[in-house]
Parts: sequence; C-alpha cells; structure tokens
Amino acid sequence: MSALQATGITKRFGGLLALSEVDLTVDPGEFVALIGPNGAGKSTLLNVLTGLSAPTTGRIALDGRDITRLSTHDRIRAGLGRTFQHGRLFERLSVIENVMVGAANRKGRSEAELRSTAFAQLRRMGLERFADQPISALTYGNRRMVELTRVLACEPRVLLLDEPAAGLNTGEVEDLMARLRAIRAQDKIAIVLIEHNMGMVMRLAERVVVLNFGVKIAEGTPAEVQADPAVLSAYLGEGAAHARH
Amino acid sequence: MADLIQLVTNGLALGSVYALAAIGFVIVYSATGVVNFAAGQFVMLGTFAGVTTLVTLGLPMPVGYAGAVALMALFGLLFYAAVYLPLSRSPVVTIIIGTVAIGITLQNAALLTFGSWPVRLTSPVEDMIVEVAGAVIPLHAIAVVVATAVLIGLLWLLLNKTALGIAMRAVAQDVRAAKLMGLRVNVLLAFTWVLAAVLAGIAGLMLGPMWFADVNMGDPIALKAFAATIIGGFGSLPGAIAGGLFVGLAEVLGASYISSAYKDLIAFGAMILFLLVRPQGVFGERIQDRG
Repeated sequence: MSALQATGITKRFGGLLALSEVDLTVDPGEFVALIGPNGAGKSTLLNVLTGLSAPTTGRIALDGRDITRLSTHDRIRAGLGRTFQHGRLFERLSVIENVMVGAANRKGRSEAELRSTAFAQLRRMGLERFADQPISALTYGNRRMVELTRVLACEPRVLLLDEPAAGLNTGEVEDLMARLRAIRAQDKIAIVLIEHNMGMVMRLAERVVVLNFGVKIAEGTPAEVQADPAVLSAYLGEGAAHARH
Repeated sequence: MADLIQLVTNGLALGSVYALAAIGFVIVYSATGVVNFAAGQFVMLGTFAGVTTLVTLGLPMPVGYAGAVALMALFGLLFYAAVYLPLSRSPVVTIIIGTVAIGITLQNAALLTFGSWPVRLTSPVEDMIVEVAGAVIPLHAIAVVVATAVLIGLLWLLLNKTALGIAMRAVAQDVRAAKLMGLRVNVLLAFTWVLAAVLAGIAGLMLGPMWFADVNMGDPIALKAFAATIIGGFGSLPGAIAGGLFVGLAEVLGASYISSAYKDLIAFGAMILFLLVRPQGVFGERIQDRG
C-alpha cells in the first residue's frame, strides 16, 4: 500500500488553474523529489496535501485511509509532516520549546515527557547545546535544522519538505543531505522534497516528479527525468529540447 | 507616612484589579489579534456572577466564589463559540466591532437583569483591618494584592511550564505553523477566551467589595485596563502587570494629593504621553505593527 496517494488533484484560484489532475504516489520509505519552475504549483500541492488549502477536486489517502476531509491537525496526527519554504519557527519560544510543540500532537504527553523527547531529538541532530536559547540567537543554517528537528518531533511517516536547502551554504547543504539520509534510514519515513538545487535532487531522490503550470509533465528516476525533452523545454525554453536533437 | 502606606496599599489593590483585567485583554490580543472592547464588561459580569451566587442565592463563601468563577469560564466558552468563532474568518476589525456590540449588549442585559441600583458585594474579610506603622489597612486590599500575585505566578507556570501553555504561546505566534505541528488550534483559542473571562471575572469578584456592584462599572475599568496595556506595552504580560499597578497607584495617590476630580489625569495623561513618545510602551511591541 502507498504511504501517500493523491489522485486527480485540481486546484483553482478563481480563473487560475494552479493544479490540474495531478497524481502523486509515495511508497513507504521512498524519497521523491518534486521539481518544476517557479509557479509550477509545487507549494500549492503541499498546501493541498496538508489541508491548508482545500482541493477543488481530488482525493488524498494516507496509508490507505482517506484524509481529504480531515483538518490539518488531524492529518499531522495521522502521520503527515511539513516544513515551510520560508522558516516559520515560533520566534518567542526557545529552541527546545519549538521542538516540544512538534512533539505535543501525541496524546497525553506531560510537559516533562515533551521536554525529554524534544531534547533527545535535538541531541540526535547535534543541536542540544542550543536547547534553551532563543530562536533569535541561531544562525540561519541552524534555524533550518531546528525546523527539521521540530517537524521530526511530530513523528511523521510521510515528510514534506519545502526547499529545506534554500539559503544554505555548500557545507550546510552537505550536512542537510547527510541528515536526511540518516533520518530516512533510521525512521523509515517517506520524504517528498521540493528543491531547486538539482545536484541535491539527483543525489538524494529515487524518483522525480516534474510539475509545470500545474500539470505533471514527467516522472521517473533522476536520470530519466534529466533526459526528458519535456522537462528540458520547461526549464530552458522550447529551443533547448530541439537543440539536443 | 501612615497615610502614604495606606494609600499605596489601596492603590496596589486597585492596580491589581486593573492588572488582571489588562492580562485578560492581552492574552486575547496576543492569541487572536482582537482588541476586546467588551473586556470591561467581562469584569462587570464577574462582579455580578459573585452577586448572583453570594447575595441572590446566598451560597456559602467557597461554593459561591467557585460557582462565580465557573460561570465566568462558561461565559468565556460561550463568547468564543457564539461571537469569536462565527466571526473568526472575518477581518480582525469586524471582530473588534463585534466585541463593541457585545459589550453594549452585555451592559444592557445586566441592566435589565440586575437593575440600575448598585448592590453591595461583601468581602470574605469584610471590616477586618491590619495596622502597619500606624496605618490602617483593610485586609481585603492586602488579600487582593496577594491573590493577584498568586494568580500571576500560576499564569506564568501555565504558560511556561505546561504543554498546554507552550501550545497556547505557539498558537498566539503563528496559527498556520501551529496547525502544521498538529495542534488543535480551535480548542486552544477557546481555552484562551475561557482564561481571559476567568481572570476578568476574578478581577470583578475582588473589585466588588472595593466599589459597589454597578452595571455601569465596565467602561471605566476597560479604559483603565486599556491605559495600563498602552503604558506597559501592548501584547506584553509584564507590561499589563506594571501598567495596571501604575494606573491603580496613580488613581489613588492622585485623588488624595492632587484632587479627586483630576484623579484620572495622571493615568490617561501618561497613556497619551506614551502614545506620543513611546507607543510600544515599557515592554511591548508597537500597536501599528499588528494592524
């Protein structure tokens, strides 16, 4: 059974067709990259998947269970996790409190349990020395790592990451990639990654899905997608695909 | 000297009431962005909840007070479900106007129910006094200051040392991100309104014996609580406490040393001065940052 299955997702904003009949299937533990030019509908798709925005038509199932009508918090409790393209940490909470909020969706956890769970997560990510610091004391790279830690504290089985490497330097991107690999190996969670850094996509993803103007134009292994003429023309313009022939 | 001790104690007691009203105001504002213009009526309802349980029904003290607080909690939940929730998708300004309308409705409903004749709500420590260095201090004033300090301590523990409180602070900062952490935002917002109503209600119960219970008491309290939050800093809990105490002291000391006709001059003068010179108050953010 698929971990996440979205079928025929269409999203209209007035006259604009942001997503048109998009299908997305993610197997348990699979690493899928979602790519496409700016405005292709990638973030809109994540919004629909997490219930922040309702699809015009389409169905979403998590582990075979229909979640199309569930509220966002119930989808998170059902095993979905998501980060934002532009960091949205709780600025007036400390680092550990941010991670505690992530862990708080599991029922009946006391403050002490939340704190120890959050601390364990921070230690796993090598961030425990920042636990009691305010968010404002973190470097940009560490803020993004705390966001990742916070969403992992939600214990997702399918993790949706919206450009986690944006704004990171080369060393930080390498570190992020190593962490993502480790997380996946340890937690057996499926990851859907929106990313513009193609090097990162090619090295991490098992499967790549390409969106353009709200339509899925290609899907396959990184090598297949790289060679696809439709993808080349979407990224580089019509002439590019012909130039190869 | 004896006079001063007496006045400062009374000022702190009145200031404690303003501080609690201001805290109720601030936690709603931080969580929802709504400036609750019915906040003064929340305090008035607290006083009359006490009048109902203790005077009208004549319940014994502990039961009566607990009953009044429970009524206020219920009122907070009702306010959330019947006023805030239906309007929650509207622009914040619409909700604010809604609180004005509900404030007027509450005041007139109280007038119809309780009449315009002021009622006396006695204190559990009625007529008891304490003498300090020759100053005669009503025990009620001391009890009010102590009870407020305890409540503020409990509130601090709730917000910083419990899972519920940390989740409430997360919702206050970013509703969308809080949803994506799996928090039940609506439950947490309902609890915020309940907490605000309970704090305002306790302020009303403590104020009852200091003033008469009068259905028109809400407006002056709302103005003082508003002045307190401007001075202390909008959205800041320490600011609400400091501002409330300042306004209470200014009122009592001003009435005694300047003139009772001008007792509000200091508090409102300070508020205007802060708006002109330091609109973010002592501790807080600028009002226009939220808008």
